[in-house]
Amino acid sequence: MILLPGAKLDDSLKGMYGTYTDKSGTYASTISLLKQDRIVPLKGTYVPIVGDVVIGVVTDEKIFGYEVNLNSPYTGIVSNKVCREQLYLGDVVSFKIISVDEVKAASLAEPRKLYGGELIEVESVKIPRIIGKNASMLNTIREKTKSDIFVGKNGRVYLKNGNTTLAINTINFICKESHTSGLTDRVIALLNSEKPEEKIN
Amino acid sequence: MIIDEIKEAVSKDFISKNTRQDGRNFLQYRDITVTKNIIPNAEGSALAQIGDTKVYAGVKIDLATPYADKPDEGIIVVNSELSPIAHFKFESGPPTEESIELARVVDRGLRSSGAVDFKKLFLEEEKVLSVYVDLAVVDHSGDLIDCSYLAAMAALKSTMVPKYEDGKLLHDERPNKLEILNDVVCTSFEKISGKLLIDATDDEELASSGRVSFASCDDSHFCAGQKSGSAGFTVKEMDSMMDLALEQRKLLVSKL
Amino acid sequence: MKITKDQLLVNGKRNDGRSPDDLRSFKVTAGVLKKAKGSAMVEWGKNKVLVGIYGPGEVFPKHLTNYTKALVNVRYSMAPFCGAEEHGRSGPNRRAIEIGKVAKHVFENIILTRDFPRTQIDIYIEILQSDGGTRVAGITAASVALADAGIPCKDLVQGVSAGKVNDTVLVDLDKWEDNLGEGDCPVVVSLRSNEILLFQLDEVWTKQQVLQGFEKIFNAAKVLRQVQEESLKENYKEG
Repeated sequence: MILLPGAKLDDSLKGMYGTYTDKSGTYASTISLLKQDRIVPLKGTYVPIVGDVVIGVVTDEKIFGYEVNLNSPYTGIVSNKVCREQLYLGDVVSFKIISVDEVKAASLAEPRKLYGGELIEVESVKIPRIIGKNASMLNTIREKTKSDIFVGKNGRVYLKNGNTTLAINTINFICKESHTSGLTDRVIALLNSEKPEEKIN
Repeated sequence: MIIDEIKEAVSKDFISKNTRQDGRNFLQYRDITVTKNIIPNAEGSALAQIGDTKVYAGVKIDLATPYADKPDEGIIVVNSELSPIAHFKFESGPPTEESIELARVVDRGLRSSGAVDFKKLFLEEEKVLSVYVDLAVVDHSGDLIDCSYLAAMAALKSTMVPKYEDGKLLHDERPNKLEILNDVVCTSFEKISGKLLIDATDDEELASSGRVSFASCDDSHFCAGQKSGSAGFTVKEMDSMMDLALEQRKLLVSKL
Repeated sequence: MKITKDQLLVNGKRNDGRSPDDLRSFKVTAGVLKKAKGSAMVEWGKNKVLVGIYGPGEVFPKHLTNYTKALVNVRYSMAPFCGAEEHGRSGPNRRAIEIGKVAKHVFENIILTRDFPRTQIDIYIEILQSDGGTRVAGITAASVALADAGIPCKDLVQGVSAGKVNDTVLVDLDKWEDNLGEGDCPVVVSLRSNEILLFQLDEVWTKQQVLQGFEKIFNAAKVLRQVQEESLKENYKEG
């Protein structure tokens, strides 16, 4: 079932992602899919969360470290203390978010430079679908395309080696069809097909 | 910004205790004075004061070509300036959305009410009188809409129309009064911590989540309305504000 | 075809055959623009209104940044070709700036702005064809576009105008009723909170007439809401 802003979910107050509460109960705030008590947003904006592994792009060098674009209205900061390696503007680097302050600025750590390869951006709310249960979906794509794929929670996917074209097409297909059922089978069919481009416009 | 938040908290604190910093009750205006003919060079003028808020209104009358769709009617133009002299937050430069809203809300009431008979501003084919009402806010201590209405209305009521002769307007000869058919006044309500009050000071406006203004042209008719600010209002609240606005009308009209 | 004042309401029928409580045909399509984060197109009577949403993004100019919530900007703009009359001026005029301001207040109410401190959400309302009631059409479309963008909101909101002809209160005024009628009262409501989020009043009304207008507007909003919901669900159909 599709939930729309203002739809009543519960008479009691339940704090869930994609909802808000007031005196009279809990309501949906975001267009989302209701799946057995689970609310899966269909669109959204990435906001940094502690523990997330994200893919950033270095946008500025400061005295204390680097400023990193996170495909979000909020930038990340990585301090020289946790980032010994010299980074350059435009570098694509994966990080772990170690803290987020009250105005949502993120502190980053565990930098890992991603050399070469390709970077795509998708709706961050679709990332769990791309990964799948116990990374099953992602492992299927990796296996079939022989690509090295690294997924950031912030809606960025880094791909290198193997059939990256097929992998990107598959990921875009998952994002477009994420709200439908029986997706895994159709993804496998797509991965097995000879001419993936024709099948997805 | 941080200073504003402190002022906001103080205002809210008073209001939550059902009182105001200046001791008024929620439905009480500050002292109102209206002085007409304060700028003799203008065809009409007034200074309206509500508490420390001061708004000048000047009326100038000029010749104009009528609008194509209303060839037999004169024109009224209302403008306002939120001058930097009035508040540290006002900056010089092009009109802000606040100042445009103020002028348009006053314009709406004056125009809708039929206070000025536009047909009487017709002179001859392709020549009509244009009435310019300019509002100069010089001291902003809140409730600018109500105060601007008083100033504009008083200025219009004091307006003398220049003589029209040989296709020219003689600004130094003003034989006739501009006929004004009704008194338009306005009461604005602010919602602060869920409560409604009138004639908010600028500090109280900081704490307000929304405002509704009702202008009336007689004892039972409204001629302009405007909601501003993010708060929502129920139909019940609107209903009671309309009653309360008409209750305040007598006081405001007595000042004109 | 030019309509005159005495043709506005004849035997309880309006110039286009509607009765006082009838809405014009109303259609909305969500997700019509590629680049905007969310979008919607409303076709309401002869009105055609396009809305695009950008953000939340960085605040510009920077000094306006609010550290507790997102700023909302609304740009309401009429295309120079939108009217049946003369060529219009491009860009927002004073009327458009006022409409942008009161529309902004609507969305400051319904967007959960505290979810996005230090950001700005831009709502662009483009009137492509106008035939009375463009501000309420724009806001009704913008609510769909915000939902399409996945920006958290408390509710979908609907705008409808009320007016008067021969002291009969009408809803959803067309251009003629707006120009020649005895009143224009655009209102935006949230059905969830039962609140009025935008209210403007022009011309002369009694209290009873205003209240009658509100009642008719709330009823009309229920019809619009149904169409809004269907349009958003349309994009996520199975298969």
